[in-house]
Amino acid sequence: MRVYLYAIIDSNDKIRKAIKGLEKASVYNIPYRDIGLIVSKLNGQVQDISIDRAIEHEGVVETLMEDFTLLPVRFLTLFDKEEDLLSVIKGYYSDFIENLDRLRNKIEFGIKVIWPGNTIRERIMNNYPKDDYPASISGDSPGKDFIKARFKRYKITKGFEDEAERCIAVIDNLFSLSVTEKRLERLKSENLLLNAYYLVEKERQDDFRRSFEQLKSSFNDFKYLFSGPWPPYNFIIPKVI
Amino acid sequence: MHKRIETDSPGVFIEELKKIDDTLPKRIDANPQNVEKGLAKLVLTLIELIRRLLERQAMRRVESGSLTDEEVERIGETLMKLEDKMQELKGIFGLKDEELNLSLGPLGDLM
Repeated sequence: MRVYLYAIIDSNDKIRKAIKGLEKASVYNIPYRDIGLIVSKLNGQVQDISIDRAIEHEGVVETLMEDFTLLPVRFLTLFDKEEDLLSVIKGYYSDFIENLDRLRNKIEFGIKVIWPGNTIRERIMNNYPKDDYPASISGDSPGKDFIKARFKRYKITKGFEDEAERCIAVIDNLFSLSVTEKRLERLKSENLLLNAYYLVEKERQDDFRRSFEQLKSSFNDFKYLFSGPWPPYNFIIPKVI
Repeated sequence: MHKRIETDSPGVFIEELKKIDDTLPKRIDANPQNVEKGLAKLVLTLIELIRRLLERQAMRRVESGSLTDEEVERIGETLMKLEDKMQELKGIFGLKDEELNLSLGPLGDLM
């Protein structure tokens, strides 16, 4: 029988809830010093690797999240036997403890913001003054013509990025009081202005949700997506990758 | 803890996220049948990164006025030829502009 790992938790006690994992196997805790490795038994490989199985995995992690601080483990992490799992864990114990301490009683929320990037870029292009070039690129020649075209593109992109930064600062500022850590991905595409992950203390989650309500009325032509609470997927800092 | 996913425009988000997902493969797709293209993609991605850095640096220097007339002319011609050569190589290996990028996992995309 192989061992399927779901998460590492901050407790070496038995789990009180009856949780079913992949292939309907019972989920249990393997204690290691003061932490626990949440696993279930699995006969061979995971049958039918699909979104449904990934949701089952996520379901186990989310149920555990209600009672423990945890480090979620990647979907389909399998060991041949418990001894193999324990020997791997031994080497990373201090790493796990550091992360569990830092993430204690904290949860993750996601905010995505879409803005009308194409319209904004077009507006910046239309407002770009004609023939506004530095003296060093005045005059005509193939090299200078090329630099002129690239310089115009550079200035428009810079204007676009500055506008994005201004909006991101306003959005991020709304959440700054209720979060402990954040990860911001800017302009992943022309229209996806912001993909943000925020780490929030459990007791401050209502403040965070209120900030989102405030955000919705900040920019009328933007679109927003709120999700969470999630396990702190984006805030685990591994020492060794 | 009650999980919530809230948006008034689910379709817009699905479409935008799908667009980002589709452009970048999670891994370099190299196998005996396409090893040449896989390697070319990797090499051209790195050249494209350097080309963009050079171009950005040149634009900063043009903006600050620290280049002479002759230097601007020379840099312009160099960048133009580099871009032409890149177009030619992309054509040879059947690569599109948006394919020249790499996902660096938790660090994000290369460009």
